[in-house]
Amino acid sequence: MATNTQQLPSRDEMFNQRLPFILIGMVVISALLILKLISFQQLSPDVVNELSPDYNRTVKLASARGFIFDHSGQRLAVNTVEYRIGISPNLVANPQRSATQLAAILNLDELEVYKALTSDSMYVLLAPRVSAEQGQAVEKLKEEGLTALQIEKIPRRNYPQGTVAAQILGFVGGDLQGYYGVEGKFQDQLVGRPRTEIVSNIPFDLPPQQEADKGSDIYLTIDRDVQFLIESELAYSIDSTGAKSGTIIVMNPRTGDLLGMASYPSYDPNNFQAETDPNIWRNPAISNAYEPGSVMKVVTVAAALENKTITPGWTYNDQGMLDMAGIQVQNWDREAHGIVDTTGILVQSLNVGAANVSLAMGPTDFYKFMSKFGFGRLTGINLEGEAGGTLHVPGDSVWSESNLLTNSYGQGVAVTPLQMITAVSAIANDGLMMQPNVVAKIVTNGEVNISQPIALSHPISTETAHIVRDMMVSVVQNGLDDAASLPGYTIAGKTGTAEIPGPVRYRSDAWIMSFIGFFPADDPQAIVLIKLDEPSSGRWASQVVAPIFRRLAERLVVIMEIPNDATRKALEAQGAIVGETNQ
Amino acid sequence: MYQIQHALRDNQWRFQKQVVALAALGIFIAIVIGALYLAQSASVSTLGRQLESLIARRNQLEQANEQLRADISQLRSVPRLLARAEELGFVKATEDQIEYLYVPEYNPARQPSTTTSTETTVKLPEYDESFSGWLQQQLDSLANQFNGFTAGGS
Repeated sequence: MATNTQQLPSRDEMFNQRLPFILIGMVVISALLILKLISFQQLSPDVVNELSPDYNRTVKLASARGFIFDHSGQRLAVNTVEYRIGISPNLVANPQRSATQLAAILNLDELEVYKALTSDSMYVLLAPRVSAEQGQAVEKLKEEGLTALQIEKIPRRNYPQGTVAAQILGFVGGDLQGYYGVEGKFQDQLVGRPRTEIVSNIPFDLPPQQEADKGSDIYLTIDRDVQFLIESELAYSIDSTGAKSGTIIVMNPRTGDLLGMASYPSYDPNNFQAETDPNIWRNPAISNAYEPGSVMKVVTVAAALENKTITPGWTYNDQGMLDMAGIQVQNWDREAHGIVDTTGILVQSLNVGAANVSLAMGPTDFYKFMSKFGFGRLTGINLEGEAGGTLHVPGDSVWSESNLLTNSYGQGVAVTPLQMITAVSAIANDGLMMQPNVVAKIVTNGEVNISQPIALSHPISTETAHIVRDMMVSVVQNGLDDAASLPGYTIAGKTGTAEIPGPVRYRSDAWIMSFIGFFPADDPQAIVLIKLDEPSSGRWASQVVAPIFRRLAERLVVIMEIPNDATRKALEAQGAIVGETNQ
Repeated sequence: MYQIQHALRDNQWRFQKQVVALAALGIFIAIVIGALYLAQSASVSTLGRQLESLIARRNQLEQANEQLRADISQLRSVPRLLARAEELGFVKATEDQIEYLYVPEYNPARQPSTTTSTETTVKLPEYDESFSGWLQQQLDSLANQFNGFTAGGS
């Protein structure tokens, strides 16, 4: 009997039918696992981050800010770290013990800390800024088990010399940006190159190179000892003369390198936030213009000599007053001085003489030389915040012929102290005017970039410079009653007592007194400008500022190792090279 | 050989079973490779953590150095040095107390050299690893980890 029943597959046959599916499934799962493994191992962090952002995190690596040194390598600006300490009270297991430990480290009241640790807040700030030593002690506490602590490192710029050179250095704000001075001007070089790094959260990955390029180190031309000396002398002078403010600049006229530059009042860059008036952060030596007064006469005479308008033997009849262009020019003593030669104009500081000289030159030549001496434009010093002063020239709506007369003796023209010293430095440096400079070298990753002296212009010839220099020596020797003389040294200089413009007319109760001198006159190694605003201890700069110069020069020749004339000539006779070039 | 073939025939192994055996062998090899891979990854991970720890330590030391430099600079600041010098009985020299000497061939106004570049030379470690050395290192690492597991479990 034939049967038509369908035969069920045996167990083996069923297994054989299902096995390929199981194998395929295993292969697929294995392939997926392998692909995932490859994604971990082979794909770049960027691709992984794009596909699965949770696998990586982006960290910003801040670069260490470069240091600032003086020319001999003394640190003026360095980096330190402070800590901000906070805590999550709900994660503190033993508030009493933790309060005792934290209060001891942070110098806080234990009860206050205990109250903070038992509060209901999610987060409590215990100390906004503590020292690195305290911060590290707190970090150790966290490592030992107090995991509720939240410790944040705060990079901080530190100025170990305190207030010394504050207005040259500037400061670094809370946003880690440099402001004013070298910090502001060289922000890009100092800050280095911060890097952004993608860091894997997968523990199998090695950590990347967690370092950004350090910023450049900057060596200034400033001599810390000179800087401290002039700041001390300025503070003393302000105190002793009753002046409201003042500036002292010391420069090497051969190179334009600034050895020191101080203004009063100043501030502490470590605590710049304490100042309520932001104007104090500016550097008045480069940003505040003033009418220089009689110091300008040396520029007028130098220009006229170079222009061949006058000669050293040129004379005029001084009648004590010059009535012209709607104004009356008078001498400081309101006296007539009779026949006066060129040197006499400077020695006796005669306004009428200077006005006669500029009148003889004419506006075209006079202002041509004023421009050559750099007035009315920036010197280009490598500091932030320089001002160009004000010089009205023919063609300007506010210029009149009276300006030609008054500008010759430093009225109606506004200059910064830096512009003034730069102009007179041309006379000290054989007629060549150098650009003022505060940076000696910049070191970037071991590469040293030394700044070279730059000549701004050559307003007068060497011969003219020497003639005017000798006239300035006569001023110190014959015009100031030895108030600015230093025994053994030949000093060239000129005083200036300038009236201060008021809302309507010049004030009759206050003056700006200044002195510019350089030494040794025949081989100048330092030119010094001293300016005091509204001193009350005397009426004339020869009485008030010239003695300050003398006091300062006495210390400068020691610090700068400048031998007196006799010693210097004896050394030179032996073949020695005398003089220090600031580098 | 004949005896093995005969034995296989006698056991009536089928093709599918041979495939399963091969797959099992493959999985076993994969597990061995995976274990080696895991051992190496764990080793790299440990190294990474050690490296991170060393970097953190280095950063801490650098910060401490910076702080010390700042402290030294503060201690060397002019007002402090002046005060200390006065305490020790020093007085400021005056111009007439200074003697200048002629030093042949010494030029105080030395000219700066032109821009120079100082390259920092980093000595690279010498590569001297052989295959057998590497293999031994991996086995040692694996053994250490097993020892670690055993130690951790006890």
